[in-house]
Amino acid sequence: MGLLTITLLIPVFGALVLAMLDRDGRTPKVVALVASLATFAASLALLVPFDLGDPGLQLTDRLVWIPAIGADIALAVDGTSLALILLTTFLTPLIILASWDTITDRVRGYLAAFLLLEAAVIGVFAATDLLLFYIFFEFTLVPMYLIIGIWGGAARKAAAVKFFLYTLLGGLLMLVAILYLYGQAGGSFAYEDVLAVSLSATEQRWLFAAFLIAFAVKVPLFPVHTWLPDAHTEAPTGGSVFLAGVLLKLGTFGLLRYALPFFPEATREFAPWLLAIAVVGILYGAVVALMQADIKRLIAYSSVSHMGFVVLGTFALTTTATSASVVQMVNHGLSTGALFLLVGFLYERRHTRQIAAFGGLAKRIPVMAGLWLVVSLSSLALPGLNGFVGEFPILLGAFQVNRTAGVLAAFGAVLAALYLLWAYQRMFHGPLEGADNENTADLGAREIGVLAPLVVVIVAIGLYPKPLYDLVEPSVDRVLAEVGVEVELAEDELAVDEEDER
Amino acid sequence: MSVALLAQADLQLPAVEWSAIAPELGPTAMALVLLLLAVVRTRPFAVAVPTALLGVALGGWLVSVGQAVPGAVAIGLGLVVPAAVVAFPGRQSLVQAFSAAASLVGALVLTAWQYLVVLRPGLDQLVPQEALAGAVANDGIALFTRLTVYLTALLVIPIGYGYLQDRRINRAEVEPLILLAVVGMAALGTANDLITMFVALEVLSLALYVLAGLARRDRRSQEASLKYFVLGAVASAILLYGMALTFVATGSVDIPSIGAAVGLVTTPELVGVIGLGLVTVGVGFKVSLVPFQFWTPDVYQGAPTSITGFMAAAVKAAAFAAILRLYLVAFPDLEALWVPVLAVLAAVTMLYGAFVAIVQHDLKRILAYSSITHAGYATIGVVANSDAGLSSTLWYLLTYAVGTLGAFGCVIAIERRRRGEVTLLDLRGLGRSSPALAGILALSLLSLAGIPGTGGFVGKLLVFQAGVASGFAWLVVIGVLSSVVAAFFYLRIAGTMFLEEPDPARGLPVVTTGLSFGVSVAATLVLYLGVYPQPVLEIANAAAALVR
Repeated sequence: MGLLTITLLIPVFGALVLAMLDRDGRTPKVVALVASLATFAASLALLVPFDLGDPGLQLTDRLVWIPAIGADIALAVDGTSLALILLTTFLTPLIILASWDTITDRVRGYLAAFLLLEAAVIGVFAATDLLLFYIFFEFTLVPMYLIIGIWGGAARKAAAVKFFLYTLLGGLLMLVAILYLYGQAGGSFAYEDVLAVSLSATEQRWLFAAFLIAFAVKVPLFPVHTWLPDAHTEAPTGGSVFLAGVLLKLGTFGLLRYALPFFPEATREFAPWLLAIAVVGILYGAVVALMQADIKRLIAYSSVSHMGFVVLGTFALTTTATSASVVQMVNHGLSTGALFLLVGFLYERRHTRQIAAFGGLAKRIPVMAGLWLVVSLSSLALPGLNGFVGEFPILLGAFQVNRTAGVLAAFGAVLAALYLLWAYQRMFHGPLEGADNENTADLGAREIGVLAPLVVVIVAIGLYPKPLYDLVEPSVDRVLAEVGVEVELAEDELAVDEEDER
Repeated sequence: MSVALLAQADLQLPAVEWSAIAPELGPTAMALVLLLLAVVRTRPFAVAVPTALLGVALGGWLVSVGQAVPGAVAIGLGLVVPAAVVAFPGRQSLVQAFSAAASLVGALVLTAWQYLVVLRPGLDQLVPQEALAGAVANDGIALFTRLTVYLTALLVIPIGYGYLQDRRINRAEVEPLILLAVVGMAALGTANDLITMFVALEVLSLALYVLAGLARRDRRSQEASLKYFVLGAVASAILLYGMALTFVATGSVDIPSIGAAVGLVTTPELVGVIGLGLVTVGVGFKVSLVPFQFWTPDVYQGAPTSITGFMAAAVKAAAFAAILRLYLVAFPDLEALWVPVLAVLAAVTMLYGAFVAIVQHDLKRILAYSSITHAGYATIGVVANSDAGLSSTLWYLLTYAVGTLGAFGCVIAIERRRRGEVTLLDLRGLGRSSPALAGILALSLLSLAGIPGTGGFVGKLLVFQAGVASGFAWLVVIGVLSSVVAAFFYLRIAGTMFLEEPDPARGLPVVTTGLSFGVSVAATLVLYLGVYPQPVLEIANAAAALVR
């Protein structure tokens, strides 16, 4: 049993301990926090044996599971998955800490759901057996359904069901494609075996479409994003943070790990269309965010826009843009996660999320205002903060590949500045009016403790993104080599150069 | 002189391979003993003592000829009756329940013994055994069907015990009838000619007609029984007519011979085609494929709930065993005729069941429509017409059986509190008021919905895989769509339990020891089959070895 398996099992073990405790109170919270911190420590330890120079899957753990159908428990990571695992294990303890006093009903269930969710997500990022991947992918639905459905807001039930069914439909279509690949690979679910299958162009198109639907729902891409605003708005704070921070990345990660290398021809064929869809998503999300009166919905729609950037970078299919899209996955997790935490903290104080209800809060609660500004600026990609180091190369790459897409996406970045800063202005500046606004308390020590690590990482990545790029770039190059675009692009450029010379 | 000797030798009765039907013998004998016990009521030892003597004598003889396992089972079954009589003096129903359960345990032990010793003596491959002059095939289908139906019956007895007691319908004939029904089901799994198949089907059906009408004062139960009986009789008649026409067309009632005869001709005779069509209608009725499903909701709703659970889980397994044998052994060469028809029926069945279940409020009706949907999924494996398809259908029925039993068990606990129909409203806040029961019900429903981590997921995975491998991707996609629709109503039940607040006006569910034992075992199996399916999957894969 390797380190990767241990990382996966610690939260499961924590959930089991929670199940055995007989009552709520302080103990379960401590147990969950310790378990999630231990998971974070274990995932940090993964960096030690990890070889940055090796673009392939490493730290392999393999356990024979169901030989009758050729399924194994096979775990391994490359740079991309390691970065996302670190994001997951980093956010989970913060989420548990953020919910410390606010969740009072069925605390053990809440914490256990998060730990199971964490384990399932680590499993998704680390699985190299398609069946195992699918199982983890679908299993994330159950705890998230409960988190939204039990501890969520007023319209939680409908939101939870919508979230569940959307993702289930996409996932099951992918299952059909996986089963087809399984047959083609001679009865094996192993990643390498499926990768070695050669498929005709028609087969690739259908299978790519099936994988795309599953991942597009998760990302979410326009027009299958409609579950997201409801789920984000109705989920409890911790749920929104995990949803935006981690679960959306399952989609973009899946595209990069599975859809692109498995179906290279279809990828190249559909790439322009996906760039177009991504741009539509960027602009649509931004415009709708601009019109929201509810701050949580605003951030939810901003996720649609930001995840559009990630897809744009992925399908630009250049080392710069695609690596940046992985970096942007991490960045979005950090900054949107932080924004949802801030909204949650504010909601606990005021029990409203209507932007119009706030005003001039900067005078009353300067710490929160300051943090809000920093996180907003990170989200809108201000140079020096983490958003910039992800979004700029994506725009650059998109511009090189498709000028129109690049220009239109840049408008999305402008709109992001508009909706985030306008909301900030309406809430925190202007006259301080009304008893509610005057009596709003500033952040407490625990809340600052939750946000501080996020802000530190946001600034650190913004100032020195190289380690993160070093981590993800080799694995992205490997994927692009599978897709076979690097070579073609180089030839195109040569052709252009020759024409220029003439 | 020598001619006369030869003639004498020819007249000898054919040898009976008892080992091929060993698991059925215990429950059959026990059914008889229990009926006798009911007759002598006040002097139970008049029956119990001879039973013990007979069992020990038979077992001793078996052990002495080297058959240790069957011998031990015979001795055990002989002794369990007097032991139960001593342990529960004057409590006839408890004696019956215990003895019946013991005989089912014995049947399961003998099924395992057959798998390990008779069918697979240290080999990788199953060695199918033909017995009773070809009337019985002791092979993969038989083995797996036995596993499913005996397990189901074994769980139904403790789950239903307190409930039947509550409704005052736990009469002496309940356990014997359950035993006879389950023996009929197992016989259906082994039936290797049309006559045996028909007789087995009637044995199980007759027992179930009576069981469905157990609640004599409940009009819905009477309605269910009558409906089931009349429509079942019509279906049996159609099936019998189809079998007769098949016999006319092929000149044989022996299923492998029919297969050989069908394989010889290039253009099938019209009589044979009509026969095949009628057989399809008949079996379609038994597993409730659309459009032969119309009886299911009413019968499932009206019958006593434990009996409904038994019907839903076990009858389906047995009837599908017959379907598998008919289509894969007798008619594989006519696949151009039946595969498209069954594929369309499967597609319609999956969608119909899922969509109609959404608008139901009565839990038993929801589960009835869900059972219709699941018949559609199981049919995908038949349509695949391959070894993988066969194994997947058998496995699917096992996972479906444990999931359904868990669900019906929980419905029983709630129904006993309500003493009437159970609707979604009765489930509100169950997650808070009785978390264990709600958890088991949710787990069973997740398994029925096919969520990873449960046996149901592995079941769906296997039938989908078999379907895709045989080129039925379109059917599998329809299966996927119906799964999403079905997930909606399963989720609605789960959501009502966990996302809503309990209604203090409604009391707590009544959970007895037997019920909690039964549903816990079912839930454990759901998890076990989902998390570590390998051992049982191996049996399912080996089950593709048939008498052909």
